[in-house]
Amino acid sequence: MITSSIRWPMVAASKSNNEITRDLVAPGENTLPLWWLVGMGLGTLMLAYGGWAFYMSLSQGLGTWGLTNSVAWGWDIINFVWWIGIGHAGTAFTIFFLVFRQRWAASINRTAEAMTVFAVMCAGLFPLIHMGRPWLAFFILPYPNTRLLWVNFNSPLLWDVVAISTYLLMSITLWYFGMVPDLATLRDRSKSKIGKALYGFFSMGWNGSMITYNRYETLTRILGGLAAPLVISVHTIVALDFAVSILPGWHATILPPYFFVGAIFSGFAMVLTIMLLMRKAFDIKQYITNKHIDAIANVLKFGSLVIGLAYAIEIFIAWYSGVDYELYTFFNARMTGSFSTAFWIMVFCNAIAPQVFWFKKARRNVWILFAVSIIINIGMWFERFIILISSLAEDFLPSSWTAYSPTLVDIGIYVGTFGIFICGMLLFIRYIPIIAINEVKAFRKEGN
Amino acid sequence: MVPKNIVAKFRDEALLAKALTRLKTQKVNILDVYGPFATHDILKKVTRESRLPYASVLYGIFALVAAFSFIYYTSVIDYPISYGGKPIFSFPPMVVIMFLACILLTTILSVLTFHGRSFIFPGKPAQNIREDATDDSFYLVLDQNYNPEEIKGWLREDGAEEISEMELKP
Repeated sequence: MITSSIRWPMVAASKSNNEITRDLVAPGENTLPLWWLVGMGLGTLMLAYGGWAFYMSLSQGLGTWGLTNSVAWGWDIINFVWWIGIGHAGTAFTIFFLVFRQRWAASINRTAEAMTVFAVMCAGLFPLIHMGRPWLAFFILPYPNTRLLWVNFNSPLLWDVVAISTYLLMSITLWYFGMVPDLATLRDRSKSKIGKALYGFFSMGWNGSMITYNRYETLTRILGGLAAPLVISVHTIVALDFAVSILPGWHATILPPYFFVGAIFSGFAMVLTIMLLMRKAFDIKQYITNKHIDAIANVLKFGSLVIGLAYAIEIFIAWYSGVDYELYTFFNARMTGSFSTAFWIMVFCNAIAPQVFWFKKARRNVWILFAVSIIINIGMWFERFIILISSLAEDFLPSSWTAYSPTLVDIGIYVGTFGIFICGMLLFIRYIPIIAINEVKAFRKEGN
Repeated sequence: MVPKNIVAKFRDEALLAKALTRLKTQKVNILDVYGPFATHDILKKVTRESRLPYASVLYGIFALVAAFSFIYYTSVIDYPISYGGKPIFSFPPMVVIMFLACILLTTILSVLTFHGRSFIFPGKPAQNIREDATDDSFYLVLDQNYNPEEIKGWLREDGAEEISEMELKP
């Protein structure tokens, strides 16, 4: 075990390579725990509700949603932005690991990437379904057509399509390639024919050759380097969907960096939630140590400061501009008016609650960590709600102001995406090692 | 007597690295090493620098040029539409799609290049030297040579747990 005074150990115990393999494949090889079955049941019920909502949206149309003439984007886009934000953490960890050579991220990388893949899948459903006729979704692709039209390459809405598709492909590629050596380990350990066949198929004949490993490591570093600007650009483009408009509260240059930091912030909070649950469920505190949790909590503390600053800048610029509509949106609608409850919940959850992580005791208390990670994601949902609904519901002309409330169909689609996420993560936990076995073995002697 | 390939098993990557240093000094031809993970030390001694990054740069340049050409053709030549009085040819908005197309095409083509060069692909049957090569053991495979006893001696001194000879397919 590493005993350096400046490097903390990757694995908090002396473990041989074989012991590490046995510890990390145990979740898949042991009997299915009851909580897994309960979780899958719950996820399936959520999927069923979402399926009904999806069916209603397609068969009856978007009139089943709570959208109005003014509030043309409601829960659909709130939840799209929320899921995309959550999806950023996985790629951020991959970048920390591959580009910045932060070895401690090796224990968290795989699960964070899985979270990204499922979150981006959930996010991608919303733009698809909010078209109303998703079977015509191919219209947004640039192909020669009988309408003699091309898509508008100047529009952030098109940039979004390309960005999200690229991001989904990149995330799946990084996630899959990262696990190929571990799939080979599972293939060689598997006693069942189906296991051997499936792991064998996806492990691509991997035999541990260093010549292949050399190209593989080069490829993953290239992909990591490509993913770094991609992850910044994806949420910047999502922010530009709003920032290029003229609506008060949307038309601000702070939006792109504000959205990007918010995405990393909410993603890390979700990673923290999942890591705490996994540490408890699989007893892997030796691999996801207190230092890992500490690092994530510190990133959340920093993110919270930046988000708080972004809120302050938004309010300051609205005041400094002297524009009546901006002043109304921030000082009336959001801070003291119809949306004040949601606004102050957002401020508390995002800018105030995570400040508790300044205290080491709080960073070491599992209950506080778990509670704050959930609070942050609730706060980030309210942030998207405030940005979208307050600016749309009360824009320039008071005669077109409307109240907005979601319908059961709106709620159902959101719950359905939770079902996709929960079922996806549970299947991942069961069939794929949640921690990168080969990476942990490679760094166990060196430490972080 | 037909020379065979020597296969040596190591449990510890540090001992393997030491053995590789000696073998390279003695100009013994190393075919490959099989193991559960790679370290920088072992990769440096067994392999040479991959040219994949150069290929990726070329793919990226191709993607940028292709994306620019396509957007220029559709927006300026084929069907120019004035959106809110904005110029027909405006480079800054093109940058976003060019950048994303660059990343997308570079990713796809780099992955295909990797598959092509390494000859691995989904569904390929495994050709393990030993099953524990993917778990906790390293297997050093040397090229066929005419002084196996001397080499085996070096390997034993450097901590090899097992040494065997086999004829491997080229």
